[in-house]
Amino acid sequence: MSLITIIWSMVAAACLTMGTMHLLVWRKRRRSWSNLLFFLAAAGATGLILCELFMLRARTPEEFGAMLRWFHIPAWVTVLALVGFVRYHMRAGRLWLAWTICILRTLSLLFNFLSGQNVNYVEVTSLRSVPFLGESVSVAEGVPNPWMVFGTMSMWLFVIFIVDATVTAWRRGERGQALTTGVSTLVFVLMGVVQGLIVLLQIATWPVVIGPTFVVLLGAMSYGLSRDVISAAQMADDLLESEERMALASEAAELGFWDWDIARDHVRGYEQWLRLFGFAPGEAISLSVVLQRIHPEDRETVEQEVQLSLKDGRDYAGEYRVVLPDGTERWISARGRLYSEAERPPVRMLGTAMDITKHKQDDMEMSHLRLELVHLARITTMNACSGFMAHEINQPLGAILNNASAARLLLGDGREDVSEILSDIAQDARRADNVLRRIRGMVRKCDVQMEPLQINGLIQETVGLLKPSISSNRARIYMDLKPDLATVNGDRVRLQQVLLNLAMNAMHAMAGMPVRTLRISSAMETPDRVIVNVTDSGTGIEEVDTDAVFQPYFTTKKEGLGLGLAICRSIIEEHGGRIWAENHPDGGAVFSFSLNAWRGGPE
Amino acid sequence: MSPRRGVVYIVEDDPSFRKSVERLVRASGFDVVALESASSFLAKRSIRRPACLLLDVRLPDIDGLALQQKLIDEDRNLPIIFMTGHGSIPMSVEAMKKGAVDFLPKPFEAKELRSAILKALERDAKNAKAELQSKRAGSLIDTLTPREKEVLRWVITGKLNKQIADVLGITEKTVKVHRGRVMQKTGVSSVAELVRLADKANILPAS
Repeated sequence: MSLITIIWSMVAAACLTMGTMHLLVWRKRRRSWSNLLFFLAAAGATGLILCELFMLRARTPEEFGAMLRWFHIPAWVTVLALVGFVRYHMRAGRLWLAWTICILRTLSLLFNFLSGQNVNYVEVTSLRSVPFLGESVSVAEGVPNPWMVFGTMSMWLFVIFIVDATVTAWRRGERGQALTTGVSTLVFVLMGVVQGLIVLLQIATWPVVIGPTFVVLLGAMSYGLSRDVISAAQMADDLLESEERMALASEAAELGFWDWDIARDHVRGYEQWLRLFGFAPGEAISLSVVLQRIHPEDRETVEQEVQLSLKDGRDYAGEYRVVLPDGTERWISARGRLYSEAERPPVRMLGTAMDITKHKQDDMEMSHLRLELVHLARITTMNACSGFMAHEINQPLGAILNNASAARLLLGDGREDVSEILSDIAQDARRADNVLRRIRGMVRKCDVQMEPLQINGLIQETVGLLKPSISSNRARIYMDLKPDLATVNGDRVRLQQVLLNLAMNAMHAMAGMPVRTLRISSAMETPDRVIVNVTDSGTGIEEVDTDAVFQPYFTTKKEGLGLGLAICRSIIEEHGGRIWAENHPDGGAVFSFSLNAWRGGPE
Repeated sequence: MSPRRGVVYIVEDDPSFRKSVERLVRASGFDVVALESASSFLAKRSIRRPACLLLDVRLPDIDGLALQQKLIDEDRNLPIIFMTGHGSIPMSVEAMKKGAVDFLPKPFEAKELRSAILKALERDAKNAKAELQSKRAGSLIDTLTPREKEVLRWVITGKLNKQIADVLGITEKTVKVHRGRVMQKTGVSSVAELVRLADKANILPAS
């Protein structure tokens, strides 16, 4: 077989193979037009090369002329596809130039069929045999067709178009792109133009050999495209890695990721999310299936919020309860963001879900504890009020009763009338006392619940309750709690109220001070007494008699009732303890109380 | 009404209540010393016996319970009756455990007060008597020589003269002489009386 036949056929086969590969790529990714255009260019080139082979092998001028005529169909396909390829792949080149080239080329194709034998020759008059690659091949001689000017013009414009596109790409910094696609296309087109000139102007006797150069162009173009494929593969690898990282992060943060395909109404949940909502992997999940998992009381709100988010295109955020098939309830905090393509309605919503059950429970416990404290504060205030009242009235009442009794004793058996008066006085004093006792009995309904307590645990709980007001006052809190303190016997909530009262007073005393430091310390005062100190960096106590601050109705606050410390004292004394106040040598006040250690066993 | 034997010391800061209770106690037939604070009571060095303390729980300087503790610490054994405006149960339990005679919530009845005072004075009289006897017994024992004291400690264990002589390494006769002198000096006529006397004087049997 001849060398020419082998080379031309191999080149044609190579072009077709490369083109087919890109056709397959395009079938998978319909939007990558570059691949389709590459296929078209390659397919055109295959036809072009085959026509060329037949022309080289033509025996008569008629045969040559007819083949040259057919030659222009694949040439047209190739040029148009290349124009498109440059435009799409390099994202450069002027659009008007592209259109002009296409129109001129199409006109050239029209004249190819409408005038003369083909657009190159009105008529091929004779063939000449020329030696080429050790064989003799046919070269045509004939009358040139004037309409060939369209084809030539289209090629020159094509050269300009490519140069322009290459320069643009180069300037944009895409140098590799400019070199591979731009320069190789330019070389190919220039060769076509030069050959056209040579043949047309009959400068030299040269066979038409555009085809083989085409394989170089296709190779260069294919290289550019392959780089895209390689980088896509790299991206896929990166994506996989980032997904793995995300899975790790999601596990660490206990975040569940979800991805809702809105059009198909399919929710894809990642492992952690599936676990949170109690779905099995691979289960088909739609929005309504997810909504079914949401607590009936929260379901409607969630649905409305999702709809609202879809309507306004803004992010979704919400908290709701999820009820798992086994009946367990958990709190979820979810967020979602919409993704849309171009200006179209959103197609996806991506988001996260987090288990916040623990937070919610803590919150609920806190607010429950606060309510309980408020309730008890009211009762202890009443209790303390009636306590002061009882104490204040008991003294004069006791004096009246004592005096009446003493007078009766001194009076002896004489003066029945005076004696009767004295016993009436005593009787009324007793009646007043009974009224007081009844009131106190009523208030005392809320029983004191004494239990063995760890004072340090109590302090820590109280500080937990105080946290919000500490941070809002921008104060610092230090705890110096000695370990292994003796257990005390006391009422948890009442003692907590004392601690809260002392700490809140401290906070008030420090308002407006540059340094706001609250210290709570605990220690053993004696082997059988536990002491707690609440120290502030405030203004200290003005009273000379620091005991006066514990008197009822003593207050330095405008809105204060003056009962806080009196109540503290009444609670501590009820526990058989002692409470006192001092000024700290470095400024500020120290409020301390001490309680007996619990000796064990019920008393 | 003639004053009964015994002094009631009242410590109460509220003047009108103090005056009223002073009157009542006096009218009930007791001698009274009324004071306004714990420290003025502590300043009193001599107390006429029998006596008792009528003490308010809440006092400005040293509160009632602390005063009670102080007296216990100083070994001044005086029966205490507490008075309180609004006493709490733990507080009264604490006071009673430490030997208070009674805990009276204000206002109280004359009868309650009187019986509490009588109980307290009776207790103190008993204490005073025991103290006196112990003091007397002690001074009698003090007249003995060290050897006689040693023999006494063996005698009250109930041992025979022979046994005592063996232990002390002396003759039975010498033991007999010491024993006779002990009986003579202390003025007792039997071993049983000797045992009682030694007990009052806090003399422990030898071992």
